[in-house]
Amino acid sequence: MSRPSKERLEARGVAVAFGGIRALSGVDLELRRGEVLGLIGPNGAGKTTMVNVLSGFQRPTSGSISLDGIDVSKLTARKIAQAGVGRSFQAARLFRAMTVEQNLSVAAIGSGLSRKAARERALEILDWMGLAKKADNRCDSLSYGDERRVSIARALALQPSFALLDEPASGMNDAECEALMEVIAELPARFGCGVLLIEHNMKVIMGVCQRIHVLDGGQSLAEGSPQDIQKNPAVRRAYLGEKAADSTLAI
Amino acid sequence: MANIVQVLVDAIALGSLYALVALAIGLVFGVMRLVNFAQADYITIGAYALVVPTVSVTPPLLLGALPSALMIGGVLVVVMALALLTERVAFRPLRNSNPSTLLISSFAVSYFLQNLVMLIHTGRPKSVGIGQGLANAVEIGGVRVPGVQLLTMVVTAGLLVALVLFLKKTPLGIQMRAAAENFQMARLLGMPANRVIALAFAISGLLGGAVSLLLTIQTGTLDLRMGLMPVVYAFFATVIGGMGSLPGAALGGFLVGVASVLLQTYLPADLRPFRDAGVFMMVILILLVRPQGLIVTSAAKERV
Amino acid sequence: MKSDTMSFATIGRFWFPVLALVIPLAIIVVVTGQFGGLSIQRTVIEMLISIVIVVGLYVFVGNSGIISFGHATFMAIAAYASAWQTCCEMLKPITMSGLPPFLRDQSIPLLPSAVVSVLLAGGAAFLTGLVIMRLTGLAASISTLAVLFILNVVYSNWDSVTMGSASIVGLPTYVTAWLALGCAVFAIVIAYLYQVSAFGLAIRATREDEVAAAASGISLYWSRLIAFTLSGFMVGLGGVLQAHYLGTVSINSFFLSFTFLALAMLIVGGMGSLAGAVVGVVVITAMVDIFRRLEGGISIGGEQWSLPAGTQELIIAAFMLLILVFRKDGIMAGREMTLPGQEQREKGLING
Repeated sequence: MSRPSKERLEARGVAVAFGGIRALSGVDLELRRGEVLGLIGPNGAGKTTMVNVLSGFQRPTSGSISLDGIDVSKLTARKIAQAGVGRSFQAARLFRAMTVEQNLSVAAIGSGLSRKAARERALEILDWMGLAKKADNRCDSLSYGDERRVSIARALALQPSFALLDEPASGMNDAECEALMEVIAELPARFGCGVLLIEHNMKVIMGVCQRIHVLDGGQSLAEGSPQDIQKNPAVRRAYLGEKAADSTLAI
Repeated sequence: MANIVQVLVDAIALGSLYALVALAIGLVFGVMRLVNFAQADYITIGAYALVVPTVSVTPPLLLGALPSALMIGGVLVVVMALALLTERVAFRPLRNSNPSTLLISSFAVSYFLQNLVMLIHTGRPKSVGIGQGLANAVEIGGVRVPGVQLLTMVVTAGLLVALVLFLKKTPLGIQMRAAAENFQMARLLGMPANRVIALAFAISGLLGGAVSLLLTIQTGTLDLRMGLMPVVYAFFATVIGGMGSLPGAALGGFLVGVASVLLQTYLPADLRPFRDAGVFMMVILILLVRPQGLIVTSAAKERV
Repeated sequence: MKSDTMSFATIGRFWFPVLALVIPLAIIVVVTGQFGGLSIQRTVIEMLISIVIVVGLYVFVGNSGIISFGHATFMAIAAYASAWQTCCEMLKPITMSGLPPFLRDQSIPLLPSAVVSVLLAGGAAFLTGLVIMRLTGLAASISTLAVLFILNVVYSNWDSVTMGSASIVGLPTYVTAWLALGCAVFAIVIAYLYQVSAFGLAIRATREDEVAAAASGISLYWSRLIAFTLSGFMVGLGGVLQAHYLGTVSINSFFLSFTFLALAMLIVGGMGSLAGAVVGVVVITAMVDIFRRLEGGISIGGEQWSLPAGTQELIIAAFMLLILVFRKDGIMAGREMTLPGQEQREKGLING
């Protein structure tokens, strides 16, 4: 393995055990700035646990996390967020009684901005994502698709070096997915960040990721370009079972 | 030497009394995330049920006039009924509220009950004589133990054992423990919520009634706030024990009781009135070192 | 630069939630001052002082979502501090012989003494918060109860300084309706500016979702500590006002009954908004006043008729429970006052 380096969010040998259950064992993962890395795997593979570890919400049982070459394994989730790791949640977890703009501003304030500067950044991001009209709506009045988009926008308002998106497209219809793919594909160029994308929708994964990392049963199964992963027989087995291993993975 | 033994007897008696109250609080917290202020008024009302409502400071006896067995049974039934009534009327409609709302609602129920007692019995402290024979000291191995202390220890030990057996051996008891450890999971696995919650309240009433009787026999007085201090101590006990942990609640109750007696005994005379403040400071200091309490359960952790 | 371009409309909309609370209060003061009887005027002053206290309580409880039973502590600290500085110069050396000489043998002018007292309350809140705000919500609530009991035990027994559980009497009574109104307006403005500030936004986020707030880089500890401290200053001001309105200070008036009443006001109005805090005070003050009069006895058609003493407490408690069951976010349900016709989206903008 390469030594810890700058411009990377790195997990080395991360293992997490809940009681007797091993959610992750010895996973190495490297997210570079400027790329979109897909993290896929069957249910229970440990994808969300990995995101929780990378964002400081789950202390690894062993192994370490480094951010731009600095060990951050012992930092709290809040400090890691301030150091530049933004994340969204599977359930959107918006601040429901607050407006869309305020949701984003909270993250902007968390990154150190003043109230006024935070509002400006929030409106800029909302404008870019086509949510400007909803800026002053309360989040408990949003549609499901908007909720999910706001939760991504909030992660971006932190102005992160690395954005970890946990199933952003789940429950979206095709049109919403298309729009979301455009947004995600543009993130590295626009925000200069690296994106870790957990997603079940293979169309989204294949469409926007430069690299894909596959987890199965808490272990790394494969890593490579979308094409490599698509052809990889081990991945097919994990996903589709022995019988279906011949059919194509892409949709 | 004998003196130290006597202090220890006092400490164990009070410690186990507080452990009992803390378990009542802990059981109800376990099954519905409610920190129940009204437990104080269960205790108070159990004691007031002994006498006829009058303005007199030496009122005629009501339940207190019955033979011991009936009197004890009567008080326990009254307090259990009251606990179930508050559950049905006030807490059940709020079952899915957040813990802060539940806490504040129990504060309101407590305030209501306290003022109701005041309306019926007036606010003046009253004297009541039950179990006078117990005032005599019993001599055991050269140590004079007041009968009341002995009774308290026997009763609390008996109730603690019974409760532990119930929680470990019966299906309902096991469900109750499961709920205390992980409430959501217990609901998902089909815990019969109404029955388990009602049972928790009934047990908290039973324990409350027992504490009513013990306190009344010890002090011979009735006071609107007689239940308050034990319950406040029990709150702190559940917090330092670790919220949601029943062994933690019992341990915490025992610790605060023992600490209270030790401070009462060993503080210089002019600092003794500040005893309670000392115990509460200790509570805060323990929390400073162990914010999640002595025994950490999943209830204390925030899930991502 | 931007603020130059702010139009009157924008400023008006920004301040509307405050004006909608302050103007009716001012009208109440003017009208009762002109036409009301003495007892109504007294009730109005008590209401305004309660607004200072409950708005102060709201700054922590409302914004953080953590119930505090401890705020009467900081009121008591301020009230007693003010009593030590300003009360009964002739009697102090005898009744409060334990005071340090600079307090015992002289009086301190009213304004500096009030400022010092409020600062003490805020300082006490800060120190308490340093410890308690590390705890999770429910454990923090119960620890605030510990704080209340600690102070009550200490002040009830520290006879040479606090006169124990007896009342200190003879404080200068300088609180008029206009002064009380001024302080209530001040409290409302401070609370409003705080809740729309970056700090206010941060702590409201922790109230909504602690995990998502941490993921947004917000410190639960610091945001709660700031709110708790500010809130301590504000209830301290309420304590000073109350002491110098009644002219007496007694530790038992800063204990559970008072705590209950203040929380009832906040819950009934709705702890999620500043408007809720103010409306709750007005509603509960009116109810308490009405039932107090009924308990005192009224004559209907020549018949003397009265409610038994204690009815008022029962009714307030029952009313609070009804609110919790049927309208758990209180009368205002977390909303601020808005201009008629303003969209729901606008409400969100201000309810920050």
